[in-house]
Amino acid sequence: MTDVINDPQPFRNNAPLQLDRAVGWDYFTAPGEVYERDGAYYLTSIEAIRFAHQHPEVFSSAKAFDSLGSPVPLIPIAIDPPQQIRYRRILDPMFAPRVVTPLEPELRRQVREIIEAFAAKGECEVIRDLGSLYPTGVILTLFGMPLKDRDTFIEWSEAIIETSGKNAASDMSQAQMEAAMNLFGYLQGYITEKRANPGNDSLSAVLALSGDDAWTDEEVLGLCFLFVIAGLDTVTAAISYLMYHLAIRPDLQRAIKETPDLGAKVIEEVLRLELPAPLTPRVTLSDTEVCGVKIPAGAFTFLVLGAANREDRPIPDDIDVENADRGHLTFGGGVHRCMGSHLARRELKLMLEEFLALIPEFSLAPGTQPVCKWPGGTLHLESVNLVWNTGAAQ
Amino acid sequence: MKVVHNPDLCTGHGRCYALVPELFGDDEFGHGYVLGDGTLTAEQVAAAQRAVAACPERAITLVDD
Ligand code: HEM
Ligand code: SF4
Repeated sequence: MTDVINDPQPFRNNAPLQLDRAVGWDYFTAPGEVYERDGAYYLTSIEAIRFAHQHPEVFSSAKAFDSLGSPVPLIPIAIDPPQQIRYRRILDPMFAPRVVTPLEPELRRQVREIIEAFAAKGECEVIRDLGSLYPTGVILTLFGMPLKDRDTFIEWSEAIIETSGKNAASDMSQAQMEAAMNLFGYLQGYITEKRANPGNDSLSAVLALSGDDAWTDEEVLGLCFLFVIAGLDTVTAAISYLMYHLAIRPDLQRAIKETPDLGAKVIEEVLRLELPAPLTPRVTLSDTEVCGVKIPAGAFTFLVLGAANREDRPIPDDIDVENADRGHLTFGGGVHRCMGSHLARRELKLMLEEFLALIPEFSLAPGTQPVCKWPGGTLHLESVNLVWNTGAAQ
Repeated sequence: MKVVHNPDLCTGHGRCYALVPELFGDDEFGHGYVLGDGTLTAEQVAAAQRAVAACPERAITLVDD
């Protein structure tokens, strides 16, 4: 997920998120629950963010993602209700748990294969060896595209994601444009092919809609493009955080092996603490007031989800399995609630189960310290180097 | 005590039916709903409270009947 706003945003860009995200969330919380810096407004409390989530007619997404410079409409993230609701009624059933669950054996097989490839080596770099491969395979599976295209797909999507959100310019760079064109060409080929020979996948289901519900090729491309931006490196990021936190907490690794149910709680807590998409953008369509602060029409607004996730918690900045069931805002809220949240949670669960089954107790490679790059698009650790003893009994 | 689900607030985070499947089901959109009429036995109240706290949209409430 790339957050998008016309730079410069020195206040946002100077947030100290590289080493310890808790320090970064403190930085955003310190000025208050609603405030203005460098012309942009920041909402940091649960109440303020809920207000924005509940009022998409004021806090619009339509212009908020403009500087991505996407040549196709970003469906549904940059669309406002009521049209956005119509898209979601069509799309939600394709990402509901009852669709994800039957995919589980195949997704488990894929992640096991990925982990088996490095298990005997006694070391891995999480992003390169696992975090980027797995979500891409999952999206290809969901869309009924061949897994053999994975590496090409990763190349294009990395080129697109790499540059977006980091550039001040609202235009895509040359390299980004080229990658996008290659990806569009590939996707267009598939759309044509699927229109002719529908499969049993979600892309075929969208293409099969007819009459008033029918989607144009441009709409389908926009949707696919958003999946590349929203559904790949967000999961990569979440995987990097999960493995990092487990690497520094061998006690948690042991506890999950003893009590597998604990895995889901640790995943929720890592999601609460470490957000791949920590600031979501909106643009106000009218004058408004949030928690007593007036915001004028036309204001760029950031919902600082990471700050709100620590509010009113007994242990705000650390994994707290006792309170892991309490809701958090990592997947957003309101009408734009992450459409891939069920899929993302399932990917993380299967990844964790297979990793712990195949790899003995692991730790960070000596002398390495994972850091986040900021400012940037998706907030993720740049690399996480793990080591384990290959001689150890499993 | 009764558990009530507000479909106007629910956006399908799916925490209720994932955590408390004995009280909540999932529909084809991935949105939650209350199984049965929502009347809770004394033993079910704690589970229902778990769902109330888990729902990021505050779509689930407990009411006295
Ligand atoms: C841990 C991984 C993920 C995180 C943290 C995450 C986070 C988010 C957030 C915060 C939003 C709300 C954006 C806003 O309010 O402006 C969002 C929206 C969205 N996400 Fe995710 N996401 C993740 C994984 C995925 C995956 C795997 C997919 C696709 C398969 C996906 C697809 C989408 C889509 C399509 C939207 C737009 C929904 C709408 O606007 O109606 N996400 N995501
Ligand atoms: S947790 Fe809340 S938002 Fe999610 S499905 Fe249940 S009621 Fe709906």
